[in-house]
Amino acid sequence: MSEAIAIQGIGIERRYGGFRALKGVDITVRRGEIRGLIGPNGAGKSTLIDVLSGRVRGQPGQVLIDGRDVSRLKPQERRRLGLARSFQRTNIFPMLSVEQQLRIASWAVAEAGVEEVMEELNLTALARMPAAEISYGDQRRLDLALALVGRPSVLLLDEPAAGLTVEESHGLATILRDLANRWNVTVLLVEHDMQVVFSICDGITVLHLGETLAEGNVAEIRADQRVVTAYLGTEA
Amino acid sequence: MTALSQGDVPAASSPLLKTRGLLAMALAALLLGVAAPRLVSSQLMLSLATQAIFDALLATSVGFLVLQNGRVSFGQAAFFGLGGYAFGVLVARGLMAAELAVLTALALPTLVAFLLGLVFARIAGVAHAMLTLAVGQAFYEIAFRWRELAKGDDGMAFNLPPRIFGFDSSLLQDPSVMVVVAWTILVLALLGLALFANSRMGQIAAAVRDNAERARFIGHDTTIPPAIVYAISALLAAIAGLLQATYNGYIAPQMFHWSLSGSALIMAVVGGAQFILGPAIGAVCFFILKDFAGRFAEYWPAIVGSVLVIVTLVMPQGIVGLLKAGWFRMRRQA
Repeated sequence: MSEAIAIQGIGIERRYGGFRALKGVDITVRRGEIRGLIGPNGAGKSTLIDVLSGRVRGQPGQVLIDGRDVSRLKPQERRRLGLARSFQRTNIFPMLSVEQQLRIASWAVAEAGVEEVMEELNLTALARMPAAEISYGDQRRLDLALALVGRPSVLLLDEPAAGLTVEESHGLATILRDLANRWNVTVLLVEHDMQVVFSICDGITVLHLGETLAEGNVAEIRADQRVVTAYLGTEA
Repeated sequence: MTALSQGDVPAASSPLLKTRGLLAMALAALLLGVAAPRLVSSQLMLSLATQAIFDALLATSVGFLVLQNGRVSFGQAAFFGLGGYAFGVLVARGLMAAELAVLTALALPTLVAFLLGLVFARIAGVAHAMLTLAVGQAFYEIAFRWRELAKGDDGMAFNLPPRIFGFDSSLLQDPSVMVVVAWTILVLALLGLALFANSRMGQIAAAVRDNAERARFIGHDTTIPPAIVYAISALLAAIAGLLQATYNGYIAPQMFHWSLSGSALIMAVVGGAQFILGPAIGAVCFFILKDFAGRFAEYWPAIVGSVLVIVTLVMPQGIVGLLKAGWFRMRRQA
């Protein structure tokens, strides 16, 4: 991991009417780092991913990719700058085949790499299948594959292991760690499966009630009494 | 993907083979069209066939919107009427050369649809259907009430100039010629739509149809591709309107009416709007059914409506969907 900053959020705010979901959150992820973003439900994790990826715009705060302010850019413009994301709920193209949708994804960012991504995520055998007809676990990997096409520089993952079996979750964690290392992808990972988070993350940010509660490496976070009380509990 | 459908799994054959297959099919269809006037001597039959082809073009334009954008339009007759009216008014008033009037009659609806598409692409479901209905009826009201334009609800007959693009224009009002012209245009239009559906722009539009949000997050603009589909769809409707106006030498507000849009939608659904060929086949079947029912009953729309209900329940993917399913079943058993 280098010292260069890949993605940065500064003073991120998000309001829903009178409710402040994010209260001026700062977050910094360095190039090549896998950073976990954890916290109880309602902490603002997915909202922060939405702001960073451009799903939500026009709120106070700044988003920088490689030092460039992208706060006003649309999601598709951020994607072309190397920022990709996956979704908490599987978000694919159900009527299109696995290969067809990856091919379409490649047209926006890079002409090549579709076969490579299918190979890495074990989707090659399913290439001709309509996405609606493959299993849930395969759909989750397809969701991730759509984000990985073109080797993005920054990847925002919103609960990629949601709904997967323990085995599938661990398999996904291994793939993520491996690809992040080999492709030098910076990852911000929202995940409730602490085994996945602790096994692959270099650093962790803990959100609680729309604010940063703690930041540090895995050992520091596991030992932080505030985090244990607010989220992890005594079993962590 | 089979040659003429969008939403299926891509076939193992290469794009080159698929394109060659499409071209071969189109060539065979063109030859059939050229031979038609020699095979059918009845002018009435040729005239009915010509009208059925106009309907097929309009139904194809409606079906293409469903296929590529996943949107149902109740206002497609607006572009049909605009194509016919632009040509008829410009020629009748001698405002420009007939060739330029043809180009204007095609370009104007296409441009209007593209601009509307930039807005319509963001709206789905019932709201979209109602919006298209409102736009279509707005055009109808203008044509109906603006007597100075083309004699309002009486409609306006007009004479074609002696030659258009160097050809004797009276031939365009001869069913044995117009049937070949219209058929050729229909075949080329279907070929063009199939090629578009397999092109990058067509596939991106299909991705936007499937999941616009995800399309944005993989880096694609989600407004322009659907707007282009609206424009292509309107161009087809305008061609149909232009051909009908030329053939009849007459334009009337009914060319804009929502019932025409509704009929085209029914044809598309009956034939199978999920397939490029479906609406054209639906139009021909609808035309035959309408003619057949009209001979035996005064209230023939009731018979047509009943058949539509049965078709919708029994064949949700339309006639082409049923034929395709049957074909796959036969291949599995063989």
